[in-house]
Parts: sequence; structure tokens; C-alpha cells
Amino acid sequence: MDATLPPASPILPDFAALPQAPAPVTQLGRTLAADVLKLRRTAALRLTLFSGALPVLLTFCIFFFKGHLIMKAGGDPWPRFISTAWQTAGTLLLPLFVVLLTSLVVNIETKATAWKHLYAQPVGRGAVFVSKLLLVLALNAGALLLFVGLLLGAGALLGLLRPGQGFQTYSIPFGTVGWMLLRTYLATLGLLAVQYIVSLFWRSFVVPVGVGMGAVVATFALLQWEHVSKIPYAAPFLTAMSMQVSKAGVLEAAPEVARHEWYALASFGAVLVAGYLVLYRRNVTN
Amino acid sequence: MQLAPLLETRGLHFHFGKRPILHDVNLRVEPGSIYGFLGPNGAGKSTTMRLLLGLLRPGAGSVHLFGHDMARHRVTLLNRVGALIENPSLYDHLTGRENVEATRRLRGVAAHRTAEVLELVGLADNAHRPAREYSLGMRQRLGLAIALLSNPDLLLLDEPTNGLDPNGIIEMRELLRRLRQEHGKTIVVSSHLINEIEKVATHVGVIQEGRLVFQGSLPDLQRLQTGRARLVLETEDADTCRNLLPRLLAGATVAGAGTLWLPWLSREHTAELAAALTAAGQPLYGLRLEQPSLEDTFLHLTEVKADLVQ
Repeated sequence: MDATLPPASPILPDFAALPQAPAPVTQLGRTLAADVLKLRRTAALRLTLFSGALPVLLTFCIFFFKGHLIMKAGGDPWPRFISTAWQTAGTLLLPLFVVLLTSLVVNIETKATAWKHLYAQPVGRGAVFVSKLLLVLALNAGALLLFVGLLLGAGALLGLLRPGQGFQTYSIPFGTVGWMLLRTYLATLGLLAVQYIVSLFWRSFVVPVGVGMGAVVATFALLQWEHVSKIPYAAPFLTAMSMQVSKAGVLEAAPEVARHEWYALASFGAVLVAGYLVLYRRNVTN
Repeated sequence: MQLAPLLETRGLHFHFGKRPILHDVNLRVEPGSIYGFLGPNGAGKSTTMRLLLGLLRPGAGSVHLFGHDMARHRVTLLNRVGALIENPSLYDHLTGRENVEATRRLRGVAAHRTAEVLELVGLADNAHRPAREYSLGMRQRLGLAIALLSNPDLLLLDEPTNGLDPNGIIEMRELLRRLRQEHGKTIVVSSHLINEIEKVATHVGVIQEGRLVFQGSLPDLQRLQTGRARLVLETEDADTCRNLLPRLLAGATVAGAGTLWLPWLSREHTAELAAALTAAGQPLYGLRLEQPSLEDTFLHLTEVKADLVQ
């Protein structure tokens, strides 16, 4: 080294020994902790809260103002109330919610041009991939739970405000609601995986939202097709429509995972594995 | 004494599709140095920085950090590297502190470091404000704070003075010097401005069209330019002089009606030229030696693509 230069510090790193990389679970835990923090004050979080409440609010208003007409014949109001709300939520709102949620969560990094930063941190690409996926899955579950909680709460409230409809006299069909909750969640997983991979691949907000909206609309046009149950975007609709109110006024939903829900689960697994293999080796250019 | 390099690239090649970006780049960064990585925009600086971090996969060649292959030990090696690539990656909806905190959690660094690095870059008073309200200079400093979180041995900074005002540039320079001298950090800092690098770097690498055209210590680069000193001769009629003294003015170029430029050869040659010119009856208005600035050297290196790699 040249004499005119100030001497280099004696505290040079000892770089012969290579320390252990943190365990994959540790990496995932750290990534998840960071991802949860980044969720603060985001549209993704507000959307989750809002989407759970909107269909309940609509159904509540319908029953509050027109319930006496719907329940003219008397009997248990819960089946009709729950199925009205579920069909409002499950047919159109739920697929669009999943599309928006996934795009918004991935967009947190894209908007901050943070992919280059994220991948230059000492966590593997797998940890980044799984962490955000878990986040989307948790928010999706949160929105559904919020929806069900608010729905049952709104029914109870109607029991107080509109005692004539009989919400307070009949018991809540918890078993059926529980099954529908599980089945609806499973039904969203296929399209969630597709949207997740599309969002990660294009790293934009517009492309996944466009793809998602297009797919939801196209699915509606294809509802009569014999293979519609294999389209991930159709699954939430099929699940919501599978819940019926029988002539006797009983809420009916099969207490088993339906064929289209198995398909959704299978596409979830297949799309994620294929997507990860494509994304894993990719260069990070933004 | 030749130290083992802390960062080394061996025959690094990279291309985007069919478009070649880097050709056979062999960087060598010694521990405890500030390596100024210079080149015009589009020469391949950012691409090289991304390759060093494992963000891009080299077409051929390899990157070695701390003596280990980056391709095989990426996660482990990145534990000891802090980086700021182009514009800092900041989450505008989070406060300055939360931005630091996000990376702190990601790296599993001790909680007290957040306050320390914010203090170090002078943002402690503004840490509660959302990042979207930050000025360009503050964003750059916040990015640096995040890069310093894990107390890394190696700092990779891509154009860190982008968008800084003169005061900010001086502060950044001071900070880099302090990090090297007091904390023993090795720093690679890229820039397209030689003036910025020459004040802080100990070593310099110059890249042009994807090729490393110079690599060595700053004094080496300064020595390189002494061979390019220029004699400026002012007279009445440059063309006439050149015709009268074809041997002495062999390498001269006419820069103006009465101005000649010629490479400086020796003191004797200068004296002989002055004597011959007067003897030939030509007026001699001025004769001076011009040292090219580092900037000229840099421009020269990046123009002619000379093969000067040592």
C-alpha cells in the first residue's frame, strides 16, 4: 500500500472462517417479522377489514329494512340471513378480494423498489417467498373470520332491534357455518396461488389486478361449462352456491370438501411449486 | 505487502439476453480500502454491484467474498455485507425508524442498533416522520443507515451521493472515511464522477463498456497521467511553425490559429524547441506545461478503452 495513504485500520475482519448460515426456520421467522411490520398503515390491511364488513353491512341493511317481507312466513331467519350474506360475499366479492389482497401485499415491495434490497439480505429466496405467502393466507383467513364473526354479530343485533324476525328465538347453525367457513377458505386457495405467482412474476400492481379481474369475469361466462369446477376462479362461487335453504327452512351445506375444492387445493400446490421453480433462479433487475 | 482480497471477481461475464454487458471483469478489493468504482452511466457499474450481491447470475466467472464463493454461500456471506443499490428501497408508508426496524428484524440484528444507526447518519430527530416526507438527501442517509445496521465488514454503495447537496456530499465523504479508519470497514463506492472519488478513495477501478480499463491505487492513477502531460505553445502562425520545424514539432497538433499542442517529452526537448523557434524568426508568446487533471485521465480512459488493467 502506498505510503501517502493513511494506514488501514488494524481491525481487519477475520474472513477465513465461514460462520453458519441461520437455519431456514430462523430466516423465515425473521422475514415474517419484517413483513408483518411492513403491513402497518397499508391498503392491504384496510382492504382486509373492509371486505369482511361490507357484505355483512349489506345483508344487515336488507334485513333491517325489508326483513319483515323476507320472513313473512315466519320460522328460523338464520338460514336465509346467512345464505344471503354468503352469496353476496362468496360469488363476486371474495375472488376480487383475493385478487386485490395478493396484489397489494406483493406491491408493498414493488412500490418501494425493495426487491433488490430484500434479496441482498441474508435470507434465502425461499424464506421471502413463503413469508409473503403466509401473510396473504393469514389475511385471507382473517377477512373470512371477520366476515363470519360480524355476520353472526349482526344477526344477534337484529334479534334485539327487530325481535319480530325471530333471530333471538332460534339458535345459530354453527356446524354448517363452520363447514362453510372451511370450504370457502379452501376454495380461495387455487386462485390465491395463481395471483401470488402472477404478482411476483410481473412485479407490478396493474398486471395481476388486470389478470385477476379478467379471469373472474371470464369464469362467469364459463359457468355452464362442464369443466368449470377445475378453474380456480370458479371455486368460491361454486362453494357459495352449494349452500341452500331447504323448503323446510333448514340451512344445507355438505359437511365434506367438495370436488371443486379439492381441485382448488391441487392447483394451489401445483401453481406454487411451478411458480417457485420459475422465480427462484430469476435475476433481480428492479 | 499484498493482502488477500476481501472481494474478488474472477472472469466475470454478464449479458442481458443477447446484449453483452460485462466482459471478463476481475475486480480486486483489498481489506481496509475504499475502492472507487468509476465509469460513465451505462458502463456496467450497477450490473457489477448486483452481481456482487448475488442479485444477478453471472454468465461466466465467479464472485468471491471474504475468500468464499458467493454462489455457494450467498446467505452466509451477505450476513457481513451492507449494501445501498441505486436509490434506497424505502417504504413510504412507514416512518424512518420503522424502515430501519423492518431490515433489522429481517437480519436478526440486536434491537439497540436501530437507534444507533439513525444517530450515526443524523436522522434521530426525524425518525418518527414517514419516509415519504423525507428529502432526497435524507432518503439516501436512511438507506445508508439500513446498510450499516448489521455492522458489516464490507459496504457496497452504488452512487451514494446521488441527489445530495454539496454539504451532504461532504458529510457522506466524512462518514465513509470515518467508517474505514475508525471501524475498519472495506467500502466499494461507485460513481460516475472522478472528483467525488478522488477525495475519498484509496483504490480505483475504472469500467468502460463493460470492461475494466484501469485498476490500482489512487497514486497509480495519478502516476498514469504524468505520462500524458502536454506542452502548449503560443505563437503567431501555428502552421508556419510546424512547416519550419518538422522534426521538433512532429507530434504537434494545431489547436488554434496560433496555438500548438504537443506531448511533453523532456526539459531538453522544450529548451531546444524554444531556441529553434526564435532562431527561425518566429515569435514565442508563451510556452507552458499542462498537467491533465484526474478528470482528463478518467475521460481519456473511458474514451479510448486502452488496455491498462494491471
